[in-house]
Amino acid sequence: MSVILRNFGLSPRYTGQRSLVCCTTLFHTSTKLRKDTDDKYHDINSMYENMFTPMYNHSPINRRESEDKANTSLEDDINDFNKDMHDIYNIGFSKETLSASQLKDIVKAKGRFVLQSLSTNPYYNLALENYMFTNTPKTKKGFDSCRLLFYINNKCAVIGKNQNLWQEVDLAQLKSKNFKLLRRFSGGGTVLHDLGNVNYSFLTSRDKFDTKFFNKKVIEWLNSSNPELKLELNDRGDIIQNGFKVSGSAYKIAGGKAYHHATMLLNSNLEQFSGLLEPSFPRDMEWESSGVHSVKSKIKNIGTINPGQFIGLVSENFQKSFKVDKNIPIYACDESITINDEIKDAMNSLRSDNWKYFSGPKFSIKLKDKNLKIQVVKGMVYECNKKKLIGLEFNDFLKNIDSYT
Amino acid sequence: MLRTTRLWTNRMPAVGRLFLRNNSSNALNKNKLPFLYSSEGPQAVRYTAQHEWIAVHQDKIAFVGITKYATDALGDATYVELPEVGTQIAQSESLGSIESVKSASEIYQPADGTVQEINTHLEENPGVVNEDPMGDGWLVKMKLDDNVNVEQVEGLMSLEQYEKTLVHDD
Repeated sequence: MSVILRNFGLSPRYTGQRSLVCCTTLFHTSTKLRKDTDDKYHDINSMYENMFTPMYNHSPINRRESEDKANTSLEDDINDFNKDMHDIYNIGFSKETLSASQLKDIVKAKGRFVLQSLSTNPYYNLALENYMFTNTPKTKKGFDSCRLLFYINNKCAVIGKNQNLWQEVDLAQLKSKNFKLLRRFSGGGTVLHDLGNVNYSFLTSRDKFDTKFFNKKVIEWLNSSNPELKLELNDRGDIIQNGFKVSGSAYKIAGGKAYHHATMLLNSNLEQFSGLLEPSFPRDMEWESSGVHSVKSKIKNIGTINPGQFIGLVSENFQKSFKVDKNIPIYACDESITINDEIKDAMNSLRSDNWKYFSGPKFSIKLKDKNLKIQVVKGMVYECNKKKLIGLEFNDFLKNIDSYT
Repeated sequence: MLRTTRLWTNRMPAVGRLFLRNNSSNALNKNKLPFLYSSEGPQAVRYTAQHEWIAVHQDKIAFVGITKYATDALGDATYVELPEVGTQIAQSESLGSIESVKSASEIYQPADGTVQEINTHLEENPGVVNEDPMGDGWLVKMKLDDNVNVEQVEGLMSLEQYEKTLVHDD
């Protein structure tokens, strides 16, 4: 379902041609979900799978297939949904998808919980994460509201808050491959998501926040579930398998709280990501920009775990490790039901051109052959040695670059 | 990184406190603009629980930055996002953000005022925030609203009170 191409992360600021920092991204051919190769884990694996794939058919692979069959009738979907909900009731996982008012009550009250979004709309999921983060209470003494959110996004590229999108993504290719573009609220570099990637988001207090804390736990839990995974943490806080990156992280600190969110490549369509984060420019174009530049990494899927299993494993271990007195509940939410004005507002902000294109750091470009120098502020040409270009949207300039000679 | 410092101070409270005082750190740098702006120096320097400092001069001009404690915890700043000049910002509203090691960290307005100048030097040199957070690394210069008296603004602390919160934080 999804993949990370570039590290969530930043390289030292640089000046000059992009090609200087690009290294070839090799796609490790993904192991296509070898299911339950080891009998020892069969039971537990299928248990998790059943537990955590409530809204869809029974595995992410089926999910993808079912998307292809666009003509599946609504009735079938409802029946599947009801059946899955029935399964959920029986294992006592979550009584129902939270209503808007339930979500509000749970988020605003103190206490720990796990929340899984059943929506694959990246705008909803990022807005939901933001809602949970903003509304989690901050107490002066102590903090007992560690929270864990899971969401899976349909195809999208997600750039960091302080990135120059034109240097990070190829907008035309994103469009042609049907990837949405989002600018998130946290820092770090650009990543690609699809349905084979699970995003997890760990919320804690600013005081307790440590960038590597939660990934150390995740690695410990996954490796002990299957020692052959051999996951490791690198010094950037990314999770590595056999030298390939499988998970990238970014963080946000605000209002005395902090979250660490990360991707986890399980069975993403890596081939599809090729080129999406490699924008092409005229050879003589030089960039000078502050802001945060992505660090490229070779990526792969973990492959032997599917999204449902991953969410199950991490949830269960979170429940065990973070239990204080009472059991940590697990809830589900969905865009159609679990939504409120605050989430809608954040979705609108995330969708807005103002946030996507007309924010981010200012930068300058030089085109030697055309004797052109341009300074761009908030996505617009702010200064230029050719006066007629001033006030132009940089995006329009790029599209018609050949006409500005 | 915050955690590292905290754990350390929790385990060794006496040494921890000493460390914070001696490194000091969180006091305003007396040789830089936020202090030298007026000949008599700032009337008051106050701190927020979110680790901002504000140095207020006689003419209601104030400089805002984040503390040494906070920058140490955040690590190397890679990007500083500041508000536009002329923006009126109410207390506890967002003033901007600092990105470091993939973390975007929000900065809040300590007291009601209007942005008069931003430290544009930080655009190209965000690392100054780490090198001299209590001096050259100031973020915003602002004109406080007429009715604001920082010594009476709720939530603002003296240096001593602020440093106490660092040791007995939870």
